[in-house]
Amino acid sequence: MKPMDGIELEILWSNLISTVSEQAKALQRIAFSPIVREAGDLATAVFDAKGRMVAQAVTGTPGHINSLAAAGLNINKAIPPETLIAGDVLITNDPWLSAGHFFDITVYTPVFHKGRVIAFFGSTIHHTDIGGYGVGAGARDVHEEGLWIPISKLYEAGRPNALLHDIIRHNVRTPEQVFGDLAAQVSSGRIGGERLLALLSRHGLDDIDDLSNEIIGRSERATRDAIRTLRPGVYHGQSRFDVPGGDVVLLKCALTIDAERGEIDIDFDGSSGASPFGINVVMNYTHAYSTFAIRSCLDPHLPNNFGSLAPIRVRAPEGSIVNAKYPSPVNARHVVGMYVPMPILKALYHVMPERVVAEGAGAVWTIQIQGRRADGSPFTSSMFNYSGGMGARLNKPGPDATCYPTGIAAVPIEVLEASMPIEFLRKELRPGSGGEGRSRGGDGQIVAFRMRTEAPWLLNAVTSRTSDAAEGLGGGSAGAPGRFLVNGRPVQEARKMAMSPEDEVEMETPGGGGYGAVERRAEGKTRSTSLPLR
Amino acid sequence: MVRYALAVDIGGTFTDVVLRDDAGSTWVDKVLTTHNDLLDGFFQGVDLVLARAKVRPSEVDDVVVHATTIVTNAIIERKGPRTALLVTEGFRDVLAIRDEHRYEMFDPQIEFPEPLVPRELTFGVPERTIADGTIGKEVDREAVAVLARKLQQERVTSVAISLLNAYRNPRNEQIVGRLLRDLVPSLYVSLSSEVAPQIREYPRTSTVTLNAYTQPITQPYLRALKERLKERWFPNDPLIMLSNGGVIGAEVAGRFPVRMIESGPAAGALAASYYAEVLGLDRLLSFDMGGTTAKASIIERRRPLVSGTFEVDRIYRFKAGSGLPVLIPSIDMIEIGAGGGSIATVDDLGLLKVGPKSAGSQPGPVCYGRGGIEPTVTDADLVLGFLDAGHFLGGDMKLDLTAAERQIAVLAGKLGTGVGETAAGIYRVVGESMASAARAHATDRGIDYRGVPLLAFGGAGPVHACYVADLLESPMVVYPLLASVLSAFGTLVTPARLDLVRGAIGRLSAVNWSEAADIIADMAEEARKALVEAGCAPESLRYSFGGDLRYFGQQNEVNVTFVGDPRRDRDVAAIRAAFESAYEAQYGLKLGDVDVEIVSWRLTAFGPPAARHSRACLPSERGAPKSKRVVRLDRDTMPVDVYDRASLAVGQEVAGPAIIEERETTIIILSGWRARLDPTGCIMATRA
Repeated sequence: MKPMDGIELEILWSNLISTVSEQAKALQRIAFSPIVREAGDLATAVFDAKGRMVAQAVTGTPGHINSLAAAGLNINKAIPPETLIAGDVLITNDPWLSAGHFFDITVYTPVFHKGRVIAFFGSTIHHTDIGGYGVGAGARDVHEEGLWIPISKLYEAGRPNALLHDIIRHNVRTPEQVFGDLAAQVSSGRIGGERLLALLSRHGLDDIDDLSNEIIGRSERATRDAIRTLRPGVYHGQSRFDVPGGDVVLLKCALTIDAERGEIDIDFDGSSGASPFGINVVMNYTHAYSTFAIRSCLDPHLPNNFGSLAPIRVRAPEGSIVNAKYPSPVNARHVVGMYVPMPILKALYHVMPERVVAEGAGAVWTIQIQGRRADGSPFTSSMFNYSGGMGARLNKPGPDATCYPTGIAAVPIEVLEASMPIEFLRKELRPGSGGEGRSRGGDGQIVAFRMRTEAPWLLNAVTSRTSDAAEGLGGGSAGAPGRFLVNGRPVQEARKMAMSPEDEVEMETPGGGGYGAVERRAEGKTRSTSLPLR
Repeated sequence: MVRYALAVDIGGTFTDVVLRDDAGSTWVDKVLTTHNDLLDGFFQGVDLVLARAKVRPSEVDDVVVHATTIVTNAIIERKGPRTALLVTEGFRDVLAIRDEHRYEMFDPQIEFPEPLVPRELTFGVPERTIADGTIGKEVDREAVAVLARKLQQERVTSVAISLLNAYRNPRNEQIVGRLLRDLVPSLYVSLSSEVAPQIREYPRTSTVTLNAYTQPITQPYLRALKERLKERWFPNDPLIMLSNGGVIGAEVAGRFPVRMIESGPAAGALAASYYAEVLGLDRLLSFDMGGTTAKASIIERRRPLVSGTFEVDRIYRFKAGSGLPVLIPSIDMIEIGAGGGSIATVDDLGLLKVGPKSAGSQPGPVCYGRGGIEPTVTDADLVLGFLDAGHFLGGDMKLDLTAAERQIAVLAGKLGTGVGETAAGIYRVVGESMASAARAHATDRGIDYRGVPLLAFGGAGPVHACYVADLLESPMVVYPLLASVLSAFGTLVTPARLDLVRGAIGRLSAVNWSEAADIIADMAEEARKALVEAGCAPESLRYSFGGDLRYFGQQNEVNVTFVGDPRRDRDVAAIRAAFESAYEAQYGLKLGDVDVEIVSWRLTAFGPPAARHSRACLPSERGAPKSKRVVRLDRDTMPVDVYDRASLAVGQEVAGPAIIEERETTIIILSGWRARLDPTGCIMATRA
């Protein structure tokens, strides 16, 4: 086949993305899990016969999408495509082979055409339940965290794998919801496959091999070309932050730009060792957030696939907090995972200062409350979260109360107040918490609440950066560290806390770091040259 | 005695006017929108049309309907006066914090739309309403008096009041509003409990702020419109088109200008539903492609889908989340950056991309000869031979084919292919992106798009519709009459309608029926007044009841229409069944044993249907092609017959490939399609 021209390829490529977007829309529509349906926390992608990710839907979190890319390769290695038959559907939630904790289940569906596998549609979503410890970082090892599903067949030749279904049913608390979400993943994979076959027949193709080679080849070349424009060298960055319980984690990275080959190598040597709490990150997830950080600075509009990921290599010492080994607990790996981009951005500052972001608040603060209503009935809230300030950009301030890298939405106060006896006393920006700089860091926020109840209640709060603030960049000042107060007194606790009815909770989320030194005029007044955000 | 109805649709570029008599004859005109005083263009257009029809204003004894972009313009251009916002003390930054969502995860450099009210003009009021509607803290009247003085000092013209949980109990907002009106009588006051009484503080506050910000512009505008119509002896007050697909009196529209945003496009969807009715098609995909964007909406069971929320002023590639949220019932529509002015480029990967950047009307496509150098979709259409350089706007505007070819050749060089191939590539790529947006929009709503006919309008819609229909596996494309003024026409077939909603969260199994009955009765009374003001006879009004429901524990509601009046039936099982069937249609499943929660009650009041049928005057002699034009189709170049639309006779068939020209647009019938003129005046293209 002759090489495709830029018109033919654009049409086939955009159609391929359209098949996987439809898979994502269908999944979002039919999933039960509120986090999938309402927050869009899902990843879907199409893979070629070799298990290389060719295209992804424009939705989901970076942790999910790039982990799914790794899962495809791992599944193809474990179960060779030539051994599959039509109607097979594959599954795993192995943290080390897919998305880093048991809650995330990956379903991987082969597409058959003319008797052979020509592609796969994969999806990863956060399930509402996976048995074991439940939400939080308190399990002592990975086995306490729930059901571990190795790479296996969920369906064999169109029939459910009865034994695996039984095992799942007996090991989760809400099997209807888990099976509902699995069914959504299976049916969305089938929809993707149908759309792909229709695409092939519209364009008279037998497979996507040439298309995939072309997409992956061009994406890899474009990424390498973009890297080649950067100044070669080895650059360093490090980021320090405290986690629930008070431990301080250090992430260090050495970032090597090889302009000749057009490659970037990231090495986390020197980073903290594994934590006893379930905040450890597996290599896949570290890789996912590392490549995300590179891409969002290099060119956010570059495609994201096997080809564009290939020129970026990521390493971390075995057993460190960013390359956790069995049996480390990993349940709340997002707490550390969301800080992974920060040392990388600080290293990139030396190369492309106009594209990076100063350190920000990092992970969102999450809260879950259990208690009793006035009529005595018990309730458990869903997890809800609040962002701190984002780091400043070269010519723009950091957005206030907005998270980087995820950017997840917060549940409205009125919705929370209607769902449980909680009363918010305050939710306002925390002026001055963003670091000073030529561009200011984003402000954190102050969220205060109490319960309207006569009964004791339980508070499960996952906070971070309460002692080690977001550093400024290029002479900018640090943001203010967060404060987590109960009745005005600071608290540090990794596990659930028993609360009295009259207790008041105040969370002051951290501010983002400033960017650039503040220029001082002769009369000594501060002058800010940054563009106002509002 | 002949009755005349008049419609005026003011858009960003043109002001369209349609006059119609009750026998169905129409007169139309287009004038440039007069941005300094929109009403100047309004009356210029009206005078032209009336003169042509030889009708005096006093003879326009049926409705005068108006759709206008004035509210949207005021927001996008930030032209509103100094506006303040009052919120519950402790929650001053509700507009700045938004919902905390970063709408484009991969781009760390994004920004957010600037709030209409800055922090310095946002003030906290000591007061509190609890989630169940009880008052936790009375309004501090002293503090409000201090604020009133502050607002005067700050020369504030309009104020929005949005207090926590006011969707549940408006009392504290009403008290604050009354105090302010007493102390500062000149102040415009908007209450969130009147404008958008729904749960979720950020979108409700955003909505009431938009209302307060635009009221001081819209109210004088509508007053002036009324007066100027009267001065000219028009017998009736104007009716105003709303975004929900209904018309209402100027008084209500002036109090709730936020309901007028996007009313022009809504009127287009109403026209589509009119044609669905006339042609007996249950479903239609309305496809409106203009200069900068393409809009699509789905007509289901001959009605446009209505959604409870949308965004205005999106600042990043039309992306959801990059605009200001509006909690107002509106026609459910997708808009993408693909229009005649969309710019084609070759990206770093060597791919041909089209849009979302647009050359707009200034400088416009290269072929307009107004200084544009970036090749656009219109340039490609011209190079392909789809457009005639000498016949654009009936020949009033000459197009520069050579310049278009020259700029497309630059792209061709980058792609390593010919000019014709590149122009065909632009045509195909823009078609693909519109088709995939329509697919995603339909799939999102649980609708199978395959087999749904298209209704093509807008200047560029008829040029591209056949190709998009092929991609969507659509069997039919309808090209209506008056395609270039279809929105204005749509306002004439729109009934009076008002949609109201009130938040009242609680389990369905434990509904407080006396409270619910009061809420619904309040809404019914408000709607009755509004529709009577809009000229409807009280006995002609119909009411439909509904609500926003969800499974307990879920975050997002489904909008449900009930069968009867819930106050009379109090039938919880029937409400649950209606919810479950709506839920199943949208999500493909239902959950038998989970409690259902009602979040809001809804009421829609309709006036009598606008029975203003059109009668097309069509020739009976079959028209012959007026010329042949060489066009490039797919890979071949061939001469193709060109027809004048006005020359086609009822029942006359034209086999594709063929071109049918009108003054404002060109219909491209591709190979494999066959067009026929329907007695309604519509051209219907079907796959041969």
